[in-house]
Amino acid sequence: MSLSSLVITGTGVICAAGGNGLELWEALRTGRSGLAPLSLFSSARYGSHLVGQVRLDLDRLAWGVRGSRSDKLAWLAAREALCQARLILGTGVSRPRRSGVLIGSTVGGMLGTEEFVRRFLRGQRPGFGPLRFHECAGAAELCARSFGATGPCATVSTACSAGAMALLTAAELVRTGEADLMLAGGTDSLCRLTLNGFGSLLLLDPKGCKPFDARRAGISLGEGAAMLVVESEAAARARGAPVLARLTGWGASCDAWHPTAPHPEGRGAHEAMRKALACAGLEAPDIDFACAHGTGTPENDLMETKALRRLFGQRLPPVASLKRCVGHTLAASGPINAVVCVQALLEQHLPPNLGFEELDPTLAFGPVLQFRPHPLAHVLSNSFGFGGNNVALVFSKAEAEGRPRPSRGFTLLSGAEPAAAHAPRPWPVAPSRRFPLAVVGAGVVSPSGNTVAEVFLALARGCLPTSVFKMPLPWPPAEARVCACAGFEAGSGLDAGKRRKLNRLQQMALAAARQSLPAHLLRAVLPERVCVALGTGLGALNDTAAFLENMVLKEERAPRPLLFTNSVHNSLASQVAIEFDLRGLNSTPVHREICFEAAFWQGANELLNLEADLALVGAADELSPYVLAAGRRWGWWDAGTAPGRPLAPAPDTRRQPPPGEGSAVFALARPDGPGTPLAWVSGVGFGRFGGGPGLRLDPGAEAAWIQEVLERHGHRAADVDFLLSGAGGRAPLDQACLGVAEALSRLAGRPIPCLAYKPWCGEHYSAPAFGFLTALGLVRGEIPPAACARPSDQPLVADRGCRLVALCTFSPGGTKAICCVCA
Amino acid sequence: MQALIDELKSRIITTLGLERVQPADIQAEAPLFGGGLGLDSIDALELVAMLDQEYGIVIEERTVADQAFASVRALAEFVATHRPKCP
Repeated sequence: MSLSSLVITGTGVICAAGGNGLELWEALRTGRSGLAPLSLFSSARYGSHLVGQVRLDLDRLAWGVRGSRSDKLAWLAAREALCQARLILGTGVSRPRRSGVLIGSTVGGMLGTEEFVRRFLRGQRPGFGPLRFHECAGAAELCARSFGATGPCATVSTACSAGAMALLTAAELVRTGEADLMLAGGTDSLCRLTLNGFGSLLLLDPKGCKPFDARRAGISLGEGAAMLVVESEAAARARGAPVLARLTGWGASCDAWHPTAPHPEGRGAHEAMRKALACAGLEAPDIDFACAHGTGTPENDLMETKALRRLFGQRLPPVASLKRCVGHTLAASGPINAVVCVQALLEQHLPPNLGFEELDPTLAFGPVLQFRPHPLAHVLSNSFGFGGNNVALVFSKAEAEGRPRPSRGFTLLSGAEPAAAHAPRPWPVAPSRRFPLAVVGAGVVSPSGNTVAEVFLALARGCLPTSVFKMPLPWPPAEARVCACAGFEAGSGLDAGKRRKLNRLQQMALAAARQSLPAHLLRAVLPERVCVALGTGLGALNDTAAFLENMVLKEERAPRPLLFTNSVHNSLASQVAIEFDLRGLNSTPVHREICFEAAFWQGANELLNLEADLALVGAADELSPYVLAAGRRWGWWDAGTAPGRPLAPAPDTRRQPPPGEGSAVFALARPDGPGTPLAWVSGVGFGRFGGGPGLRLDPGAEAAWIQEVLERHGHRAADVDFLLSGAGGRAPLDQACLGVAEALSRLAGRPIPCLAYKPWCGEHYSAPAFGFLTALGLVRGEIPPAACARPSDQPLVADRGCRLVALCTFSPGGTKAICCVCA
Repeated sequence: MQALIDELKSRIITTLGLERVQPADIQAEAPLFGGGLGLDSIDALELVAMLDQEYGIVIEERTVADQAFASVRALAEFVATHRPKCP
């Protein structure tokens, strides 16, 4: 079987130019732009700007759907895609067992959060309701819940390439057999944050963007969502689903150049396209159409043209940007490109590049001006984001073979590298033969210490975080007990000049990354062969809040550009890439508690694909008064608590770990790769369970799932020495974790104690990264298991060796992950 | 004009958080960006926000910003020309 067996069986889209795929295609056919003056909310400064606003009544269309505007857009696009793929409303359809959801989003429910902040600053006492839908993870969970997806469920946030990154990751999940079918795409709604943020960067063209035009002056923001159903051809044929097109190639890279500006020569953009072509086993002349990122800023269009010329030589294929038609929909822009590419392949027509009037002599090319017929076999779609985050995808005609076609009589010019030198990836790959991977470096910034040695020592001595203090809150009660990080700034190794532009979260991530990446490791690898995947649950919340507060208080005068660029979720991963010049795939999973495991999987997968020789994976989160206040209202923690031990026989809310923060980063390599192994990781797995406030977790079923993942990676349940859980002193989760450990013990035929790591790192979304560090300490014998065990298990753990730890995460949102760490 | 230049120098230092720079270290005629201060395009945009905040001057186009930030003296002349006149 060749790689061309990954197929698209459904597409769905909602954007300014149309509420579904047919309407969008009709808009492109007639050359109609969806841009119009903003009316979604009032804006003193940008109200007259042309934007790509969806003018449909979402509350009516998505009746009964609870979520943010982004969530509803995603849900509507997903419903269309799944209908087309005959997964809902069909008759006699068998649904694949492990279907998953992967969504890219940049703003999530920011529109509701803005309203909350505005009312709060005006002295009203707004309800916390909108903040429930703040997170980007909402859309994926909503779709998984509504449409009954039980496989991997995750969210990535790599700015404007997030949707394309989601498609790339979904393709990898299907290819490696982690899922049978994936619903993947992106969603973003318009909001004041992005409008003011891009405004502060002077990147908006009030009169509408003009991609590739000589007088192009900036972007037009838009909103929307697009979703695609990706599955293996065998599965699609077996269930009688229509094959619309094939997803044949994908590639990702990082410029490692600047937090917002692209590399002027399009270095990373070229690398992503080269990788995508190599993955598809194609050469540049095989590409019949390039659906450009083409935002309409002077820099992007110039660098994209340079990258296209380097790849294709002087003779470019037809190129078009859809941004004038639908606006720049941020995370949705890549999937919207993808949906249009699929439709173009089906109809054998080229979509036009609206807004182009005057040829730019520096670019020296004209994009597609008219909707016109054109034979298409393979098309390329580009997505580039802040942080130099680049993704390119190749789609091929349903009937096309994956093999390269004969050359069309013109040769590649200098600079264009032959793609045929890179063999297509094998398909499918048996996962059990691919792990283990070596952990060759570790770094941490935590309330219990700012180096790995400090943390291990503190745990061995049974010390709990010392930096517990009271943080002032904007709501009553006036303060909350937290365990915070301190004294890590020097560890980031940056001088004051660089530090001045970095926020606390970025400095934490940089300090941990520096520890995990000793100089000899860096010297042993090429910059292009190092990938970075740093998860964050909530991102740089303090900068986001400061930007919003400034915006409300000054009524949109003087928006602060640095706060905006630093508030982007992937600013951590891109700062790490810039600091150490790491140019491989650069990703930022943001899916609540599983953000670390998702980052881990992405990094590990790049290593196993031989796309990278070193992977930097980790997670970071910071404390923020808004989260503390909201979390307290929702019963996440009790503000007055002292640190204590979870997993008590009767969960004691007065002794649960306080909210925490920190960053943990690990360097991974293949067994034949650079570095000395500290420990080994033998596998990861993802899935979904009930979720919700009552958790609805069936211990027996979860234990069976853990056993299945273990067996897939060559272990037995009886090999597991400890189940390391995210128990944090709250009744439903702690009891569920103990229940799973008991059920797993029954399957294994010997008692498997349940351990907890949150007492030393505090309660936050990135805590599983600290769980991974705990697992590392356990298998290396640096941490005695007794330090993490509950009192009643002490006799059991006292003389037990530790060879295999199963790190298990259950997120109340209904997603779960497991990571197997062994000596 | 000299008073405005001195005022702008200290505003630049506070806006950009240049801890170790004294107003005397900034030459009025030297280029603000790409010089010894280590400032980049995002700093320029922070100064755009500062001009809006402190002087009520709104810059919407980057070409205008590029000219205004050629040096501290150019910036002072720009501010003197564009600041709203008091009645």
